[in-house]
Amino acid sequence: MQYSTYLLPLAISLCGALLCIIRGAYFEKIVSIVAASGVLIATVSNLWKADNISGFFYVDGLSKILMLTIALIYLTTVLYSTAYLKHIKNPLFQSRLYYILLNIFAAAMFFSVIADNLGLIWVGIEATTVTSALLVATENDQVTIESAWRYVIIVSTGLVISLISTTFIFGASGTLSLHVLLQHHPTNRVFLIGLLLGLIGFGTKAGIFPMHTWPDVHGKAPSPVSAIFSGVLLPVALYAMARLIQVSALPAVRIFSLVLGILTVIVAALMMTVQTNYKRMFAYSSMENMGMILVGFALGGSGVIGAAIVILAHGLAKSGVFFLTGDVLSTYHSTDIADIHSLFKRMPRSAFGLFLGSMAVTGAPPFAIFAGELFILAQLIQSYGWLLAVVLILFLAIAFIAVNYRTGKMIFTGTHGGIAEQHRWETWIPLINLSLSVLVLFMIPYFEQLLKPFFKP
Amino acid sequence: MGQTFQILGFFLIVLTLLMQWETYVKGVIWLFSISSFVVALFLVLLGLSHPGQGYLLFVLAGLTVSVRGIIIPLIMNKALRSLYKKPWRVREDRPMLGIGGSILVSLILILIGFFIYQNSLYEVLKIKSGAVPFALFMQASLLIISRKNAYIQMMGFLVMENAVVMLSGWVFSGLPFVVEAGAILDLLGLVVVSSLIIRVREEAIMQEGDSFEKELRG
Repeated sequence: MQYSTYLLPLAISLCGALLCIIRGAYFEKIVSIVAASGVLIATVSNLWKADNISGFFYVDGLSKILMLTIALIYLTTVLYSTAYLKHIKNPLFQSRLYYILLNIFAAAMFFSVIADNLGLIWVGIEATTVTSALLVATENDQVTIESAWRYVIIVSTGLVISLISTTFIFGASGTLSLHVLLQHHPTNRVFLIGLLLGLIGFGTKAGIFPMHTWPDVHGKAPSPVSAIFSGVLLPVALYAMARLIQVSALPAVRIFSLVLGILTVIVAALMMTVQTNYKRMFAYSSMENMGMILVGFALGGSGVIGAAIVILAHGLAKSGVFFLTGDVLSTYHSTDIADIHSLFKRMPRSAFGLFLGSMAVTGAPPFAIFAGELFILAQLIQSYGWLLAVVLILFLAIAFIAVNYRTGKMIFTGTHGGIAEQHRWETWIPLINLSLSVLVLFMIPYFEQLLKPFFKP
Repeated sequence: MGQTFQILGFFLIVLTLLMQWETYVKGVIWLFSISSFVVALFLVLLGLSHPGQGYLLFVLAGLTVSVRGIIIPLIMNKALRSLYKKPWRVREDRPMLGIGGSILVSLILILIGFFIYQNSLYEVLKIKSGAVPFALFMQASLLIISRKNAYIQMMGFLVMENAVVMLSGWVFSGLPFVVEAGAILDLLGLVVVSSLIIRVREEAIMQEGDSFEKELRG
């Protein structure tokens, strides 16, 4: 009973979804804002509670960090959506349904990060696909509908692979309970195959190479949906991968994860250099960050602390960037980089935010992602020497240049056009998120304390 | 009992091969419905051979028949009816493989499924016909990759799910009931949502063609 507070975020967001069914002017917006605020309060209060590892929950430091990330992005996404939905001319459904789906989507993510059972984590992550597929299609044009379909079919197929992995793990160990698996650390061949399949299956949802083809699809989703996808959905899938790495005592699983993580960074960096669509470019930047997080989990030790820092800081910064791309899109009516000029002259606040945001998500100092990547690289050097670290740094630099060059071009080139920025309250939301992503730096000692029992290198 | 399972597994592979060669969407939906009934029969037989946990497998068989065998085909058929005046004439008109090619690739994939199983898991599991779910999985993947019609791609995904039920039951004596039930409910939700998306997608393609392909490339 003492630990039922961990169910509060899930329960509040589900209640929010249920209440959204009631018709009333602005009712669904008010309910969703209240629910998301309540969730954030409940999550923050849970940060100081003891871990709960039992037959039903598996809530440790990593779960708490994920819950905090989900709660923060959920609230800011709801707030930003209240303004953004007005700009959608021909929505696929009423705004009530949008908020119902958004609230259930958040609930499914909370469920995934507190469950003690790998099978139920799978059910939770699959439920995020069900609830979010329609959110991708909100704008109701042919491209977003096609994106939604590709999202469903690619992600679901990947998740079937992780369901097979769950079957293997259960067949090999007789349990799916995380805490039991952590006590026994099975080492047989079927268990190993199950873990490797799970990494590929959940990796599909997290945008990890070689099943990385859907994150560019979420570049086509409405900006608040892109924000919550990049900010928390990908890390929630990575959370499942982290648990698979954690339950394994076999070095092959960590090496496999490390290779997948490094290849993801390399492929994402190369893809970023050829992008002509700014939303898709930032989607590939998310893929690069997920690769780094996976490298951190695979390494263990301070790599895990680095991964946790990147999860929270990237979630906040990337959601801010996607909110800003929504502002840019609503003014320029194009997602093509070539069509965006004079951003600094026409939309100074958004341009300033986008400049800071692109620096933040590509790991420039003093943003927290830089610190997180340093932790990961330090652990990489300690475990595998300099060569791999140099390769990774090289591709991080390529990604940094690719994103910031293009963003700089959109912001600083061109001289035409007057001020087009409307001073609306929601334009402050991305700036708040970006500021919070810097403040994550001050949470590093707390993260170290939370994650101490989690992984050993 | 082992031989009965083998016969059911063989029957499922044949049904999936027929889906691969079927061009009409309604035909594929009915074939999927029949294959779901076969999976339910398999679960009932599995329940009879595991007296201790049999009742859960019977419940699961009931859920499989009702959701996979009846409700999902009904939803898909309803979606077809709402979109087309003559739903029975809706067909895959842009298959990536002809009939001959698909027969050849299907057979090769079945062999690959058997090869992968024999060289990776057979040594550990010692179940001779455990390769059937793998062969089914490969067939379903081909169905998704080789077709452009979204309804048929969805059916391919559902066949994959059936393959997982077979795998978990046959090779590993089942997953915990709560996970299996959760998976079925997720599946139902996914089919409802997908039917909506497919319907809007098909309407858009009928009106505007598929010029969106260029924008989604890269």
